[in-house]
Amino acid sequence: MQILLQQIIPTYFEKEQISGSEIWDKNITFSKGEHLHIVAPSGSGKTSLIHFLYGLRKDYEGTISYEKENIKNFSLEKFSIFRQKNLSIVFQDLRLFNDQTVKENIELKRQLNPYHLPLKINEMAKRLGIANKLNRLAKTCSYGEQQRIAIIRSLMQPFGFLLLDEPFSNLDEVNRSKAFELIKEECKQRNASMIFADLKELEFFKGERILKL
Amino acid sequence: MVQTILPLLNSNKNNISKWISYFGLGIGVVLLLSSMQMFININNLLKENNPKKTGFDFISITKVITNDNMGKDNTFKDDELTEIKSQPAVQDAVPLISNQYRVKASAGTVIPFSTDLFLESIDDNFIDTVPPTFTWQPGQQTVPIIFSSDFLELYNVFAPSQDLPQLSGKTISSVNIILEIYGATGVQNFKGNIVALSDRINSILVPKSFMQWSNQSFGGVSKVNPSRIYIKTKDANDPKLISFLDTKNYHLNKDKTKFGRIKKVLQNIVSALGVFGILVIVLALMLFSFYLQLMIAKSKENLQLLLTLGYSPNWLSKTVAKTWIPVYVFVVIAAVAITALLHLSFVKISFVERNDLPYFLHWSVLVVGILLLLLSVFTNYRLVKKELYKIV
Repeated sequence: MQILLQQIIPTYFEKEQISGSEIWDKNITFSKGEHLHIVAPSGSGKTSLIHFLYGLRKDYEGTISYEKENIKNFSLEKFSIFRQKNLSIVFQDLRLFNDQTVKENIELKRQLNPYHLPLKINEMAKRLGIANKLNRLAKTCSYGEQQRIAIIRSLMQPFGFLLLDEPFSNLDEVNRSKAFELIKEECKQRNASMIFADLKELEFFKGERILKL
Repeated sequence: MVQTILPLLNSNKNNISKWISYFGLGIGVVLLLSSMQMFININNLLKENNPKKTGFDFISITKVITNDNMGKDNTFKDDELTEIKSQPAVQDAVPLISNQYRVKASAGTVIPFSTDLFLESIDDNFIDTVPPTFTWQPGQQTVPIIFSSDFLELYNVFAPSQDLPQLSGKTISSVNIILEIYGATGVQNFKGNIVALSDRINSILVPKSFMQWSNQSFGGVSKVNPSRIYIKTKDANDPKLISFLDTKNYHLNKDKTKFGRIKKVLQNIVSALGVFGILVIVLALMLFSFYLQLMIAKSKENLQLLLTLGYSPNWLSKTVAKTWIPVYVFVVIAAVAITALLHLSFVKISFVERNDLPYFLHWSVLVVGILLLLLSVFTNYRLVKKELYKIV
């Protein structure tokens, strides 16, 4: 499975914003199994790109295709199936249900197309140090905790590509590596790719493919 | 799955419009179903329910005589007969042919009574009592007669005052009647013999063959337009038949059709009630749709996030719409139960002595109840789906 980007430019970008970019206005292929690190300083359109890839926004020129099919032509139904089977995400703004508990938030994603048993939620929460928060409302958790909830939620389903938008911004070094290890393991299990966008180059991606936005 | 997404719907429990719409829906369904059942009840009750041997009504019609058409030809023409026959409520229609000559009857010396008379003939299958002897061939001196039992009754009323003997149905057949027929060629006498009494046809009937022969021989006419027509119909109170006859200005026995007129009025009232019920249902569903729109607008963020996470819009619409199925089932079942109670009390209170109404609701009422249920659930599903696609 492949994701193909052909001359993508956000319609609201000025010419000078795309100069020097290794992604905007270029032809790029992401293949399954290969990890990709996108390094994108503020204002370079990182979140826009992630939203384009996830199909949330369509205000760009050029084409993004999955399996040679332009995602602009996907119906809503098709996109929802696609998001259940092929594409998972950690949003920069996390997007949790604030009035649901941590466990309910994760379960809402898991039950949609279960890849893991419910027990796995506890196991992952324990690994990332939020096991004691499972029954609390999401809004009562700190931002760092919420980031870990969003990460676990994204790992509950099958996927070929995992989109990560600054998932570690509020995590300390120890938690970062714990989370990265978990994500890496889960990707390996599925032979999936992560597309990891961050402001700075992270050392986890030494030797992997790195593109500057 | 359903249980975990429902808390995400911001359905304000105290929303008054929701409760009003449930209540309105219930009222509307009761109104509609009750009026349907009443319509059926009225139909059943106001049917002429004399057990007739064939199950048909026979009614005679004439043209209404007014000051304008007095003295003109008020007989039925062939095309008018064809038109009457073509009415859906009319099974068959045949003319009553009357004599075109003068005829006088006397009963000889036993009953000193003599009168001018009229004779008519009609298809045998319209007569309720046709004995095998009711035939006539040219040359036959005796003419069989079928006499109206009403006429016999009338005779028995005035007979004593005229010093005439009263007659029973049996004895009348032994009375020898002499028919004197006056034609262009002179007078000819026949022997009349009453072979049967008829409850159905108010006339003095002779066989068709005799009528045809005598009209030609004495009246000199071979084709006679009838002034009376007998109609055979499933229901003399059929509103369509009655309004047809009214528009044509045909007169018929009001007694037999007065039920039909009452029925028409009652059914109109009940139909109006049913239409009102439909209106209330539509209003209730509209009110509920406003409630749904409000709820979806309030839960917009949660629903958007569910869609973002990969919940399919179709699945979500179905799940959201399904939430109200139990409420709707309850409302419709309650409405059907109330309708059944109303019907039962109608049967019990107003028509105790009549057994021709079943205690339970007519099946079509139940079918409409189920259809309304499906309609409500379906319109909700469509609405939720439309609203969801709006917020994507």
